[in-house]
Amino acid sequence: MDAVEKANAERQRRWVKDQKVGEGTYAVVYRGRELATGRKIAIKKIKVGQFKDGLDMSAVREVKYLRELQHPNIIELLDVFSSKTNLNLVLEFLDTDLEMIIKDRSLVFLPADIKSWMAMTFRGLEFCHRNFILHRDLKPNNLLIASDGQLKIADFGLARDAADPGYKMTCQVITRWYRPPELLFGCRYYSTAVDIWSVGCIFAELMLRIPYLPGESDMDQLKTIFRALGTPTDEEWPGHTKLPDYVSVGQFPRTPLRDLFTAASGDTLNLLSKCIIFEPRKRISARDALYHPYFFALPYPTHPSKLPKTAAQTAAASRPPDEVDGNVDPGGGAPAGVGKAAPPKKLKRKLSGHDLSRNIARKLDFTAS
Amino acid sequence: MQQQPPTSPDVSSAAKSPLFQSSTQYRNWRFSVEQLKATRAALNQASVAAIRNTFESDSPGSSSDVHFLDANEEHLLVKLYIIKISQLCGHFRFPEEVEATGITYLKRFYLKNTVMDWHPKNVMLTALYLATKTTNHPISLESYTANIPRTNASDVLDLEFLVAQSLAFEFAVWHAHRALWGIWLDIQDLPQAPPHEELQRIHDTAMQHIRTSRLTDVELIYPPSQIALACLSLAHPEIAAFWARSKNADTALEAIESIKRTITRDGDTPSVDVVREIDRHLKICKNPEKVVGSKAYLAKRAREEKEAELKRKKKAENVRKATEQGNPFGEVLVGQANLDDDD
Repeated sequence: MDAVEKANAERQRRWVKDQKVGEGTYAVVYRGRELATGRKIAIKKIKVGQFKDGLDMSAVREVKYLRELQHPNIIELLDVFSSKTNLNLVLEFLDTDLEMIIKDRSLVFLPADIKSWMAMTFRGLEFCHRNFILHRDLKPNNLLIASDGQLKIADFGLARDAADPGYKMTCQVITRWYRPPELLFGCRYYSTAVDIWSVGCIFAELMLRIPYLPGESDMDQLKTIFRALGTPTDEEWPGHTKLPDYVSVGQFPRTPLRDLFTAASGDTLNLLSKCIIFEPRKRISARDALYHPYFFALPYPTHPSKLPKTAAQTAAASRPPDEVDGNVDPGGGAPAGVGKAAPPKKLKRKLSGHDLSRNIARKLDFTAS
Repeated sequence: MQQQPPTSPDVSSAAKSPLFQSSTQYRNWRFSVEQLKATRAALNQASVAAIRNTFESDSPGSSSDVHFLDANEEHLLVKLYIIKISQLCGHFRFPEEVEATGITYLKRFYLKNTVMDWHPKNVMLTALYLATKTTNHPISLESYTANIPRTNASDVLDLEFLVAQSLAFEFAVWHAHRALWGIWLDIQDLPQAPPHEELQRIHDTAMQHIRTSRLTDVELIYPPSQIALACLSLAHPEIAAFWARSKNADTALEAIESIKRTITRDGDTPSVDVVREIDRHLKICKNPEKVVGSKAYLAKRAREEKEAELKRKKKAENVRKATEQGNPFGEVLVGQANLDDDD
């Protein structure tokens, strides 16, 4: 009886939770493995019982889109199962994210490395947009990095289908530093261009190694943007003064990108400038970005496997693969193979803990705005 | 640093196959007519056998006079509740997307479950509520249940997980009404396009056929674009043919004939008397394990409790052992103790 419940129990048995690696507002993340193969996985356990309206919208969105999207540059959802009142998403395990890589001061980025990360980001995003899906929360820490260097777009908790013309969408999306000016002005009809702005900010951050437009409040975010790019004129961005939450935050002169990005090539700055055009309709699309001369000019993008790695990644990669597989303890006790692997694991855990507190801080920041 | 030649921007292989073909709907929710029939028959047989068993273990011989529902009767009952979803959606003024998705969920649910376990009345409420969320038109549960007579929050929420599981958490649905919209936009550009008012009438008629098609199995068999074209063809065969030719899709015109036949044949509302009779039978043959408070229900609950208790004990024992043995790996065990063990 209850074939559905039986199938669920069978699915659940395929995966083992090993260790808690992080906790967010609505989910707990565990590192785990596939019982049969020992393959590393991550399990995102979403607490459902606490919501009076049942399954939470973020969970619904994440599951809905990840079930449909299969692409090398989008995180893979391997399975979904439920346990009591929790929803468990089994995701491919990814070592680190772009934010950690950017913050690792020991790493040096070559222009070819940045080009490689940008190409992978645009590929993943182009696939989302081709499927009419807006991500609405792109930022370095949602761009995860696999052990082979592949970049994968993750966290679809704010994603949605592009609305039909004439239907409103909420403007309370995208983490502030990566939020485009039309959303800050309360625009309720927007497009895939909102994600492109975020990618532009990430592009700049890869070159600067610090966030490009770190506003302290929504109002300050607009000021920060205009200070960097000049206050838009009505000619540059027709109609923006009529947007619902439009406010004048002062006149700032336009300074050439070249002044800040002194080492960047002409192609680089051209693509960057097209991602952060004020008028959303003129912003470059993900598809056109992939055809931009930047990606065809020397230096060619670094092969993902040769991209800069954090210490934790390098240590993890230096372990022979069979050591990981062979030492798996099917009884589910303490993670085996601790001998050699302990230092990197500790490091990784410390990093994720650190990362976690930062996430929460930023999230609170975001809702308070 | 090794360099690669410029890879042509990767819009490559995936671009060649249509997006629909990578959808979960295409991969997991399309069946042939025969497959559908076989699936429903097998599900019905297995369910009847299991429920009969439950009856017998409670009191031997008690299942002999019970009229269990057959697959057709189950199907008719579900069909009635498809109509109820439409009525509810009219009441709430939900968008077409919500209605169509709720109906799809209900149909998919009963490809994995029997009405003898789960009565479609509550499943219908849950499927529709879930659809409001998955299509991005969420409303609070409170205002949802407040507008449906004799319904409380638990009627909707208790089954939400089961419904989501039955759908294999595959929430995205491709609908024929969207495809019709696309075709309609195309038609306005054709040289043969009739004046706008007439075109609007044709669209509205085709939309009616799409709504009728939701009472049938066509969405489980054919892609949404073909259903849309079939409905357009039912409304105005010439226009449908013009459009298909403009797309060099003449072959589609043959394919849609069987869709048209199915919609015309199966798109009727089931007779209330027949369904009432089925529902009367269902009261007797429903799975006693699912009837709250029944003997079988209590027995099943007790079994589950016992299993859970065992599991908890085992877990506690493991923790105790680990603590006693001392802790060779330091922090790792601390991390383990932190695992919240609510599952």
